[in-house]
Amino acid sequence: MKYVCTVCGHVYDEEAEKVPFSSLPPQWTCPRCGAEKAMFDPLEEKKERGNDGSTDESPEQGQGETKLSAGVLAAVFSNLARGCEKQYKAEEAELFAKIAAFYTSLSDDDDTDASPESLAALAQEDISSTYPAARKTAENKMDRGALRICTWGEKVTRIARSLLSQYRKGGEELLRESEVWLCTVCGFVYIGRKPPELCPVCKVPSWKFTNVEGGEM
Amino acid sequence: MKKTAVRNLRLCTKDCLCLYVCPTGATDTENSIIDTDKCTGCGDCAAACPSGAISMVVTHYPPQQQKNDDVKSILTSLAENRCRSERIARQLARKTDRPGEKKLLTAIAISSRLVAEDIMREAGFMLPQSRCTHELLEKILADPPQGFPAEAARKLLEMIEIND
Ligand code: SF4
Ligand code: SF4
Repeated sequence: MKYVCTVCGHVYDEEAEKVPFSSLPPQWTCPRCGAEKAMFDPLEEKKERGNDGSTDESPEQGQGETKLSAGVLAAVFSNLARGCEKQYKAEEAELFAKIAAFYTSLSDDDDTDASPESLAALAQEDISSTYPAARKTAENKMDRGALRICTWGEKVTRIARSLLSQYRKGGEELLRESEVWLCTVCGFVYIGRKPPELCPVCKVPSWKFTNVEGGEM
Repeated sequence: MKKTAVRNLRLCTKDCLCLYVCPTGATDTENSIIDTDKCTGCGDCAAACPSGAISMVVTHYPPQQQKNDDVKSILTSLAENRCRSERIARQLARKTDRPGEKKLLTAIAISSRLVAEDIMREAGFMLPQSRCTHELLEKILADPPQGFPAEAARKLLEMIEIND
């Protein structure tokens, strides 16, 4: 029997490892990306997916005129700032960043009920319904760019949920003598002394990772 | 299509071949940024640089790929959720005084933002030059929320050409 990591695709082969997957200790984590044991799926079942549930075609009827929240506007504008930076347009990048900062602080008033549980529940909701629905629409419309972000985003969301759950169980001990690394390209988060050689989600080299210090926001 | 040379300072190892081959002196500047006024777009510097630090980029970007309305709509709801995740993580990071938890939540906040940015890129906001960027700025300027940096938006509308 083989098990596959739903974050990075690492395969645990019981035959090669000589230890049944079920006998691994609960605190065992993926040797490649650090996801917890619960993030693994049996390899067989993987082939037949998407047959159940969420068959409804595009639930929202936005048709282009959806009103974007302050939070999303912040993301739109910080992304455009990034786009200008990549095009070596420093002044434009700064202006977009200014608008993004305005919307970031505007959005800060929402969600005053913030709790670790609501954060985990939101990740769970996206993993089990929003990403699959988006993936389906992207496939139907043959939009490979949208398909790419569904793939990356879902994995990044999975690792975030896994780390939150690992922290809930292990507390500060989880981060002792370790740093928190963030892939600046796709958002993959990794706990360890050094960043991974390659990002397990988007495959960029380790220098694209940044060491996250707390409280810089 | 007209091109211009740009130097990636992270990759530049100061091997200086670009200074020798440039026919106009555009590569030789005090701040290491190639002078776009002098650059003729010949590409010789990019071909000569041993570090692959110079790329030739177009001066006018082609229109981005059209996005289907269903794709836009579902991606926007996904981005809404990821932005909420960013916000919750950021608020929790501020509240906690445990250093490890603060770092982890900060990372998750930034990570959620990166994902949301990428989602909105695929929802049609890839290029600053695209029409939808302009229309969004104009729409906001027509009825700006209190404290909105209108001057920045106006400048951007002036500076960035529309390519589609
Ligand atoms: S040739 Fe390349 S490495 Fe050398 S100075 Fe020019 S850009 Fe930098
Ligand atoms: S493209 Fe040609 S003109 Fe422009 S900086 Fe390079 S060598 Fe000089």
